[in-house]
Amino acid sequence: MTAVLKAEKLSKWYGNILGISDINLEIGSGITGLLGPNGAGKSTFLKIAAGQLKPKIGSLTVFGEAVFGNHQLFRRIGFCPEHDSAYMEMSGWQFILLLARLHGFNGNEAGAMSEKALATVGLLESKDREIKGYSFGMRQRLRLASSILHEPEMLMLDEPLRGVDPLWRIKIMKLIKDYGKQGRTVIISSHILPEIEAMTSEIVLIHQGKIFAKGDIHRIRGLIDSHPHQVSIRCQQPRQLAQKLIDSDFVLSVDFDKDGHSLTVKTNQRDLFFTVLIGLIAESGLEIEEITSPDDNLQAVFDYLIGK
Amino acid sequence: MNMQTQNPTRIIFASFFKSGFKAKRMRVFILLSLIPVVLMLAARVMETAGSLAANDSADFFANVMLVLYFQLLIPVLALFFGSTIVNEELDNKTLVYLTTVPVSRRAVLLGKYLAAFLQAALLVGGGFLLCFLAAAFTRLGQAAAWEELAVFLGTALLALFCYSALFTIAGAFMKKSVLIGLFFVFGWESVVQYFPGITQKFTIIHWIKSLLPVLPGQGGFLIFQLQPSPALESVLMLLGAGCVFLFLAVFIFERKEYILSDNA
Repeated sequence: MTAVLKAEKLSKWYGNILGISDINLEIGSGITGLLGPNGAGKSTFLKIAAGQLKPKIGSLTVFGEAVFGNHQLFRRIGFCPEHDSAYMEMSGWQFILLLARLHGFNGNEAGAMSEKALATVGLLESKDREIKGYSFGMRQRLRLASSILHEPEMLMLDEPLRGVDPLWRIKIMKLIKDYGKQGRTVIISSHILPEIEAMTSEIVLIHQGKIFAKGDIHRIRGLIDSHPHQVSIRCQQPRQLAQKLIDSDFVLSVDFDKDGHSLTVKTNQRDLFFTVLIGLIAESGLEIEEITSPDDNLQAVFDYLIGK
Repeated sequence: MNMQTQNPTRIIFASFFKSGFKAKRMRVFILLSLIPVVLMLAARVMETAGSLAANDSADFFANVMLVLYFQLLIPVLALFFGSTIVNEELDNKTLVYLTTVPVSRRAVLLGKYLAAFLQAALLVGGGFLLCFLAAAFTRLGQAAAWEELAVFLGTALLALFCYSALFTIAGAFMKKSVLIGLFFVFGWESVVQYFPGITQKFTIIHWIKSLLPVLPGQGGFLIFQLQPSPALESVLMLLGAGCVFLFLAVFIFERKEYILSDNA
């Protein structure tokens, strides 16, 4: 992986308050989800990456260059801040056009780029209204438009789906996924795990200013071998299946659900369990209706990692 | 893509100059700048009605308007316009938009400074012109009257330039810069200007007052204890100080990190 963003021993604190601590991280092209609860350090990390804050210790480079004070780098970077902020006296059009011109686009081209960005986030019809008349969700979409306006190689989005209605949430997710497919780098922060899960499996878990884990959700899950992995199996004969599974060392417990048609198995060797389970099904002829793994969602991994 | 170089300072200036007039605070400043005009018109009406002796309105202009403008309105407007150049971006959390574009922070600050300066200059200049027209109504045909106006306006612009630049530093350096600015205007400037000898030269108002064409017997409180410096020296001092203040404001703005909220 060629690192687009590289952080080395990166630390930042505000007085006595820790922002992030000793972060070593490389992020390449594609979509990376930055996950963590409020106050975890996600925004601090993104603000350093977007040149808004200076590292206290360590370094962070984007495209091999330090970011703070390096304004030319923003031809290649788009940043969508978390704050609900904008120049309220301006119209959406004036705001985006101003940014387009500051990105170096002239006359007609600035207009065309602004129009395209506003159309992408569905604000073209409302472009002449003053921003103070926009809803929260519209302002959020406007911020997104400001970050994609110049079609940057790298996009950093701090909680971009906050306050956006469900329809636009889906559209924005698609937009972000398309960016990733084009080989651009997208870093998206959120504390709502299903949002990230819907866009990428490449995640960085951050909590109390430190990185807890990084990588593919399944690989991360594999790292946690001491943590029981839950698998729910829905079938007509759950007790028969339980009998066959219970002798295995890697099965820690079996619980029957109230409906009488499913069981939940806890295992500390996920891959081995699935191999054995498939063999058992083929051998016994048991009809399995559904296999789900609640622990495969990011929330379970996240909860486990932060010790809930 | 058409990426010809545009002047970002000009783009920022044009945008913020225009949008600044829509801001709520602008209405307050317009009203504030009209107070001397109303007072001057009242004096003129009273003079016409015979309640004031002939030419008293001209003295009124010299004695009161100048004090009101040069000791109060100009520094206060400069304080609010100058200090909010950066502070407003911090309060509204909009600074991020101007610092994540390929434009230097120097261009951002200078563009916003020019917009703020011109807005303040229009308010002061407009009000000043109306006051002057009311005061010098009977001698508008005389070239001397217009020369006098040019000197007043020029001095007002120099004062705004210098004060605004000073308060831009304060705004770039600290969040609650208005309080410090008020202390400077009503504390330091108001007191030290009346100190004898060289001490009064450590105020901006000393250099401003040195340029004002106040006739003997006029100006009263304004020129009390004034030991004027030569006009050229005063102009150079105000221009030089303004440039140094602007340079320092840019120096701070380029290097300081601004924390827009409690960081998560």
